[in-house]
Amino acid sequence: MTGFWAQVAVIARTELVRERRAGQVLWITIPFGAIAILLVPIAIGTDAPMLRRIGPGLFWMVVMLFGVLVAVRRSSLDTLPVRDQLALAGVDPAAAYVGRAAAAFVLLLAFEVVVGLAAVLVYDLGSGLLIAPATLLLAAAGLALLGTLAASIVSAGRDGSALVPLLVAPLSVPLLIGATQAHEAFELGRSSLGWVLMMVVTTVVLAIAGVLSAGPLQETG
Amino acid sequence: MTTRTSRSPRWPWVLLAISAAVAVTAAMVVGPDAVQGQLSRILYVHVPSAWLAFTAFGVTMLMSAMYLWKRDLAWDRRAHASAEIGVVFTGLAIGLGMIWAKPTWGVWWTWDARLTLTAIMFFVYLGYLALRRTTDDLEARAKRAAILGVLAVVQVPLVHFSVVWWRTLHQPPTLIKPEGIDMDASMFVTLMVSLAAFTTAYVAMMYKRVELARLEDELLVAERSTDGPVAGAAVSTPSIDGGA
Amino acid sequence: MTVPDTLVELSDVAVSAGSTTILRDVDFTVSSGEAVGVFGANGAGKTTLLRLIATLVRPSSGSGSILGAALNTSDVIDVRPAIGYVGHLPGLLPELTLIENLQLHAKLQRRDPEHARSALASVGLGGAADRLAERCSHGMQRRTEFAKVLMAGPKLLLLDEPHSALDQDAVDLVDALVERTVGAGGAAVLVSHDRPSVNAVATRTVEIADGQLR
Repeated sequence: MTGFWAQVAVIARTELVRERRAGQVLWITIPFGAIAILLVPIAIGTDAPMLRRIGPGLFWMVVMLFGVLVAVRRSSLDTLPVRDQLALAGVDPAAAYVGRAAAAFVLLLAFEVVVGLAAVLVYDLGSGLLIAPATLLLAAAGLALLGTLAASIVSAGRDGSALVPLLVAPLSVPLLIGATQAHEAFELGRSSLGWVLMMVVTTVVLAIAGVLSAGPLQETG
Repeated sequence: MTTRTSRSPRWPWVLLAISAAVAVTAAMVVGPDAVQGQLSRILYVHVPSAWLAFTAFGVTMLMSAMYLWKRDLAWDRRAHASAEIGVVFTGLAIGLGMIWAKPTWGVWWTWDARLTLTAIMFFVYLGYLALRRTTDDLEARAKRAAILGVLAVVQVPLVHFSVVWWRTLHQPPTLIKPEGIDMDASMFVTLMVSLAAFTTAYVAMMYKRVELARLEDELLVAERSTDGPVAGAAVSTPSIDGGA
Repeated sequence: MTVPDTLVELSDVAVSAGSTTILRDVDFTVSSGEAVGVFGANGAGKTTLLRLIATLVRPSSGSGSILGAALNTSDVIDVRPAIGYVGHLPGLLPELTLIENLQLHAKLQRRDPEHARSALASVGLGGAADRLAERCSHGMQRRTEFAKVLMAGPKLLLLDEPHSALDQDAVDLVDALVERTVGAGGAAVLVSHDRPSVNAVATRTVEIADGQLR
């Protein structure tokens, strides 16, 4: 299996190099998420206790709705000549899936940290939101796997980029509930282990589904 | 691909006409609920709609898995037909539920676990139908839709579980649920008759929709058959005078 | 790998996409030592024929084998490294430099990326190795594709409009690559609408029109 993981590493690294040079997530998606955090009080009011109460939930909603954009970002890996070359180079479709999801995971983690920081400062949340690494990691992993899978399901069709968020949003509910409830349990001093475990199960299920469907999805190009 | 032009059978429609007549009559004749009055009659449509919605989505999951196993487009057409019917009845169940809820609870919507799940399912399968519209390539469409159909199989139970757990922690004051009404025998029988009528409607619609889907596919295949035009035929010798 | 005498064998193959038939009734054989030129007008099905042989398109009916691997089976994955395919659009990642593109390809095939620089030098791009692909002209990108093929040393060479966007030096290089592959017991298929330039290297030619070989 060294071949598989070597390919995963090469694909993930290539995606991150591309992102570093194109800066799509860093300069577009992350600022977009941050401005969403700022827009909420403008729409619903600036009452500080209320913002403190609903802030964590708003943060996770922004992650789920806007984080999807990280997974649907335009990739030159999707153009036909490049897909042809990757297929001929013997890239395992499952390795390509895992590699791209791994890159999306890193980018989503960055998204969470920056947007989370904005939420902590603007809503006066205290640092609880950002010192729960398990929740942040699992939400990023789950959303990366789900978003990458949805993006490859629609990749060959028309209207792809508009459809991915519609496919991802309802299926991301376990991640959203897990993350928000784990945070709430943490704040109330209760055990959040159950919620974290639920996120783990969701992430594992998504990983298996993505790896198993990568081959069949590749066939039709 | 078979080219038989057999039509869907007529018996489900005959059965539907009879069962619907019985169900409508029963729902009109049965006495109103002691607490809810005439409002209770909505349940004879709402409950079967909800039952049908979940049955239809279950069938879609099953048919999707069958397609991935057998790679026969017939399974894909069944999955598609069932999803479409499921979306219609989910919409109906949600709409009727709201009409029932407003006079009963004073609100159009409540965060009951089952209600939340139904709404989420509605959007999952709207996405499924939207995905099917993105390509004309039958095999590619079938495969992509089936993979989403199966992804829903593994993900929806997690959605269900998470929503139920979430609601258990945040239980609103106990309310009367549509299913929780203390039913007398005549109401129960009416509900069962109604369930049977709706299930017959599902079967009849399935037959018809699958037949329609088969005709749609056959049309596409006929257009691309070897007797038809090929891609290159669309390009002819150019001429500055506008071509021959 | 051992190269069979018949590198390409297609029998009664048809390809369709959506509601459109692209290829039909295709019977096509390429033996070791052959360089076959395939000519046809725009939209005749040339590119699809080449991608079919490259195992990138699945036939909707018919049967065939490429380098001994039957189409529509997973065996084709094993023979892909022996196929050198250059499409008429370059398949480079625009955000990577030319050398990074070659190294990526080598790493994915688990070959030594060290030869990338010398391969670029042999196609005359030694001085542009560290330029981003998106800043390179179409011709330079195509040269880079040929450098990829040089590194891999394929048994079966598949070239789509092999001379398009190339200057005379590069054309000579491509022709030499075809001759070297064919001379070593491999084979080449070159599809083009440009008869004279391909006739120079082809050992045999066929026509394609309306999705059928003539």
